[in-house]
Amino acid sequence: MLSVAFHTMGLLCSRHQHHDEAEIEENTQAAEIERRIEQESKAEKHIQKLLLLGAGESGKSTLFKQARLRPIKLLFQTGFDEAELRSYISVIHANVYQTIKILHDGSKELAQNEADSSKYVLSLENKDIGEKLSDIGGRLDYPRLTKELAQEIETLWNDAAIQETYSRGNELQIPDSAHYFMENLQRLSDMNYVPTKEDVLYARVRTTGVVEIQFSPVGENKKSGEVYRLFDVGGQRNERRKWIHLFEGVSAVIFCAAISEYDQMLFEDENKNRMLETRELFEWVLKQPCFEKTSFMLFLNKFDIFEEKVLKVPLNVCEWFKDYQPVSSGKQEIEHAYEFVKKKFEEVYFQCTAPTRVDRVFKIYRTTALDQKVVKKTFKLVDETLRRRNLFEAGLL
Amino acid sequence: MANKEMSVAELREKHMAAAETVNSLRERLRQKRLILLDTDVAGYARAQGRSAVTFGPTDLVCCRTLQGHTGKVYSLDWTPERNRIVSASQDGRLIIWNALTSQKTHAIKLPCAWVMTCAFSPNGHSVASGGLDSVCSIFNLNSPADKDGNLPVSRMLSGHKGYVSCCQYVPEEDTHLITSSGDQTCVLWDITTGLRASVFGGEFQSGHTADVLSVSISGMNSRMFVSGSCDTTARLWDTRVASRAVHTFHGHEGDVNAVKFFPDGNRFGTGSNDGTCRLFDIRTGHQLQVYQQQHGENEASQVTSIAFSISGRLLFAGYSNGDCYVWDTLLARVVLNLGSVQNSHENRVSCLGLSADGSALCTGSWDTNLKIWAFGGHRTVI
Repeated sequence: MLSVAFHTMGLLCSRHQHHDEAEIEENTQAAEIERRIEQESKAEKHIQKLLLLGAGESGKSTLFKQARLRPIKLLFQTGFDEAELRSYISVIHANVYQTIKILHDGSKELAQNEADSSKYVLSLENKDIGEKLSDIGGRLDYPRLTKELAQEIETLWNDAAIQETYSRGNELQIPDSAHYFMENLQRLSDMNYVPTKEDVLYARVRTTGVVEIQFSPVGENKKSGEVYRLFDVGGQRNERRKWIHLFEGVSAVIFCAAISEYDQMLFEDENKNRMLETRELFEWVLKQPCFEKTSFMLFLNKFDIFEEKVLKVPLNVCEWFKDYQPVSSGKQEIEHAYEFVKKKFEEVYFQCTAPTRVDRVFKIYRTTALDQKVVKKTFKLVDETLRRRNLFEAGLL
Repeated sequence: MANKEMSVAELREKHMAAAETVNSLRERLRQKRLILLDTDVAGYARAQGRSAVTFGPTDLVCCRTLQGHTGKVYSLDWTPERNRIVSASQDGRLIIWNALTSQKTHAIKLPCAWVMTCAFSPNGHSVASGGLDSVCSIFNLNSPADKDGNLPVSRMLSGHKGYVSCCQYVPEEDTHLITSSGDQTCVLWDITTGLRASVFGGEFQSGHTADVLSVSISGMNSRMFVSGSCDTTARLWDTRVASRAVHTFHGHEGDVNAVKFFPDGNRFGTGSNDGTCRLFDIRTGHQLQVYQQQHGENEASQVTSIAFSISGRLLFAGYSNGDCYVWDTLLARVVLNLGSVQNSHENRVSCLGLSADGSALCTGSWDTNLKIWAFGGHRTVI
């Protein structure tokens, strides 16, 4: 019986005086393990862990890829090499098929349900192509994107009905990259196609696990010294509450909110507004006990799309922003709208932060994940903020 | 035959009507069961004049504290013999301990730090772990370490589309194990090929409708296993029939975090976010007993993990507030709280497990420690 063994050996962990060789061996091994653990833990103290969170299409994965593409020399990652760029070919081709299928099926749906249905009806000569492409897009495995297929996709894309459907993009789940890929079909279907960095940024992969990268933001002249490990858990489409506590103790949570989504519905639930979903998620994350002392960096993302949209689609189509009053036009109006949205997020932050936690760091950044310069600058700011906080906590500030 | 031209709105209506029908049928079934259920286990035992097992603080004492993890402990497992324990922690490590000497024999730095489960193979030569990476990784303890002292992964079981919450080797089979996942499925893996032998639940099958959090394979019939899920149900599966569960057990009102087969293989226990443990019978499908502690002003605590003593007379349950109750399974009474004795854990008890011979209990906690509790003095193991 184990219990008997425990009791004969004493109730406390004791060091035996026997010079039993096997025991000495075991003790040495254990000591070695403990030494290694200590060493590894010390090394890890210099690595700042950042958790990237956000609702489905918040652009956080793009942000993630950006962190790898930055031209400055990174500690362990040096941007994408050709092999890695090539590895994205199948993803990009998949995105093309998925996009044209969504557009085609969307046009059919609109033709069925809309009053002025005729403008969503495909021209006769494109009907067969449409059905064929829709079928391909629904398969588990996609064929290689040949010149012929690319030509057919382009023809369909240029059909008036498809263009009309595209303009209703916010109601259907048409990815932001649709236009980009459709305009580049010739290049994408080339025999010797190698994706450009920009292509990779636009590519959308449904990751299923955790993706992590390590990088070190380097100043123009010197190394900042800090090493960051960024975790993107976007692929988990399940109950966050079952694993969020794994991240207790991270240096900061980077929350991505795509502010251009105020008029769009969720991929998973067509009746739910994306902005409201983002607000709900933001509230939930803020209230988690495991993040009581964690710094929050809010990235208000996709500003470029927001800029274009806000002058055409009023902010108050989103219930959260229903009290918005436009004041002017053009650039002034865009800034005003942005400040309004920013203020709304700040309100939520303070509503969800208990008085005892008010001293945790909270910063808001405006980003366009596809614009490398903006992202670079943003990460530098994040780095500065976190270093100041560390110095503060160490009592040096 | 489905009408192809049916609009989305019409389909949605049909779906809602069908869901209504299912719900009302389920409610009728529940009422019927309640009528058939004349008593529970404790009621029957009391009527028979049974009294609670006598158990006091000296009967189960903490005889070892295993320190070494630098993060919360999430999972632990004993070897079927040779008394070693593997533990997984938020610090991204698996540590293998000699339970008798409390010395570490291995420390494995995982490729993905976010680990949620670990298990020992029946022969004790390998350990499996899984977590947020959605992969179950196998490590052979006999392989040579690399230059950093780390064990290489000997097999990666990938295919899940969500986190791996729990894994267990099929008893006496070092080549097969079962995982549960946040992707709502359980999978039986063939470790030698790395391929999925069966998928339980998932898109076109009737399985769990939310994240699956734990599995337990019957010790009496390794073709049967139960799974617990965020959909508040536990399901019984036959590995030969992956397309649908043998039975679905309702009753809990929150995530079913833990499931464990009762020693005789005819019943199983569950632990849930609703703060209760329950005992279900696999032959009748009935809920036999609810184990619920009345709480005062403190908010109810969640059950994180459970284990049965070797005879099943005792049910050990770990809770999110650091409590660890020892229940008299028969009389549904708490006979000891390991969370309030001296030397207890200082934070949530996240996992626990009984040694193969049933004479020691190991608990793991968010306080980064593991503790071994042994039956004291001349106390017989039950």
